[in-house]
Amino acid sequence: MDALANGRDVQLALRGIRKAFPSRGGAVPVLDGLNFDIYERDFVSIIGPSGCGKTTVFNVIAGLLEPDEGTMRFRGEIVPGLSGRVGYMMQKDLLFPWRTVLQNVMLGLEMKGVDARAATETARDYLARFGLSGFENAYPKTLSGGMRQRAALIRTLIMDPDILLLDEPFSALDYQTRLYLEAVLLDAVETFHKTVVLVTHDIDEAVALSKRVVVLGNRPARVKAVHDIALNDRSPIGARSDPRFSEYFNTLCGELDIQTRARAA
Amino acid sequence: MAIQSLSQDQAPTAQSPATPAATRRRPGALARAVDTTLGRGLIQILAVAVFFASWEIAVDAGWLTEFLVGAPSGIWRVFVKSVLDGSLVHDTWLTVVEAILGFVIGTVLGSAAGLGLWYSVLVARIVEPFIVAINSVPKIALAPIVILWFGTGFISKVALAVSLTALVALIAAYQAARDADPDLQALLASMGASKNRIFRSVIVPSTLPAIIGMFRINIGFALVGAVVGEFISSQAGLGHLIYNASSLYDLNAVWVGLFVLMFVGFLLYHVIDFAERRILPWRQVDTAGSVQV
Ligand SMILES: Nc1ncnc2c1ncn2[C@@H]1O[C@H](COP(=O)(O)OP(=O)(O)O)[C@@H](O)[C@H]1O
Ligand SMILES: [Mg+2]
Repeated sequence: MDALANGRDVQLALRGIRKAFPSRGGAVPVLDGLNFDIYERDFVSIIGPSGCGKTTVFNVIAGLLEPDEGTMRFRGEIVPGLSGRVGYMMQKDLLFPWRTVLQNVMLGLEMKGVDARAATETARDYLARFGLSGFENAYPKTLSGGMRQRAALIRTLIMDPDILLLDEPFSALDYQTRLYLEAVLLDAVETFHKTVVLVTHDIDEAVALSKRVVVLGNRPARVKAVHDIALNDRSPIGARSDPRFSEYFNTLCGELDIQTRARAA
Repeated sequence: MAIQSLSQDQAPTAQSPATPAATRRRPGALARAVDTTLGRGLIQILAVAVFFASWEIAVDAGWLTEFLVGAPSGIWRVFVKSVLDGSLVHDTWLTVVEAILGFVIGTVLGSAAGLGLWYSVLVARIVEPFIVAINSVPKIALAPIVILWFGTGFISKVALAVSLTALVALIAAYQAARDADPDLQALLASMGASKNRIFRSVIVPSTLPAIIGMFRINIGFALVGAVVGEFISSQAGLGHLIYNASSLYDLNAVWVGLFVLMFVGFLLYHVIDFAERRILPWRQVDTAGSVQV
């Protein structure tokens, strides 16, 4: 774990997180003593084979699941979970079908008890900023997949959470829309100084967006490696044309490849 | 700045994904000409007219016995007479009030209990077999007990309607609450929402379509409750009218009662339809552009 030691402030530290799910044939271990740190204003991607427990890690961090063992420290303080402090964007866009775009975006503010007038105003500002003006009163099912995901991203950002947890947010989108939303995300993260943890199955996306990449092994998941990504340009297209991009890409591919072979053996 | 320029470049123009026009079956020219509100209405009125005319002719010609089946002309005479002497309005009013009261009480109690079960998985699991068992009793068989407990007046009819509707509402609401998207609930929990908050913001709205769908079934059950209650013992009401008339072999009066009941049921159904469109605007969005098969 030497990659972690570069003198930056740790925002969230996971130590020895274990989680097993009960099933018919006894408990199935999913997280097997997970250790990693997330720094202030970090951008960490978590990659790993599908079904290895990436979403489970997020559920533990978000306080939706209690780990069987292990501790989480938020800015040094032991916490059971970060419920109310995270902006969790799940795999599906998960907009509330009965709420308009505006009402969906306001959701987090409502939960915080922000006064409706002020919440509406903030929501309108965010929608305008992210190019969704004119769709305030549309229902989610009339929007394209990219717009729905953009609305979900705005809903996550507007709560001003300490940490953004993004679970394969762009995996269902076409490449163009994905590049566009990646840019929106990077820009928002820079502007609002957010910490981001991104789960993705897309190595390409992980390298292009992240400062660091955490590689998980097969279930039960452990941290297999942590890679620092040092690209000069962190725009979705710029990063992908950096000469070091393919180097990182190959390293990470290799890491996942070994796992496939190990599993096949 | 970057975001603004990007959002302009990429601003989507179409609001919804196009429906695959190729799968749409193209109706013939005649079908298209007739398929308007006016066209359909005319055909429906014509069908009703033909039905009553053939009935009347069959009775006149002696193919059917008026004594056993009634006749449209006789039904009309009874209808006019009972409207003029005020008895039909009184009967209808009474039955409708019994049914609506029973519907509202039964549906509200049942839905509240069913949604309430969402709060405790343990309680829900414990009571589930009891609910299934009670529900498997044909509730109309409870009628004699209900009369015993609540007397032969207005209250017993309402009580019977309640007993028919409450369990339907409970089961529908409970199932809908259990099927509410767990991810939406998890999302709110991650925002720090309390259980009550999740109930209000996820459970209630996501069960509304199923609950309103159940209204349609329950309005029918409430009418059954009121009418059966009146069959058993009553001084007035449409059930009373029908039961009395049939024991006197007055088939025309029976038909008047039945047609008024049909009309009342039809009307209440459409009231619910209207309410549904007002309460669930988000479900109405794309029905216009839906694919025809
Ligand atoms: N609530 C649950 N109950 C039982 N098993 C679960 C539950 N959630 C996840 N799992 C299992 O845990 C494993 C990891 O799931 P998940 O974290 O969703 O993987 P990933 O997001 O990496 O694809 C899977 O095998 C899944 O079947
Ligand atoms: Mg997952």
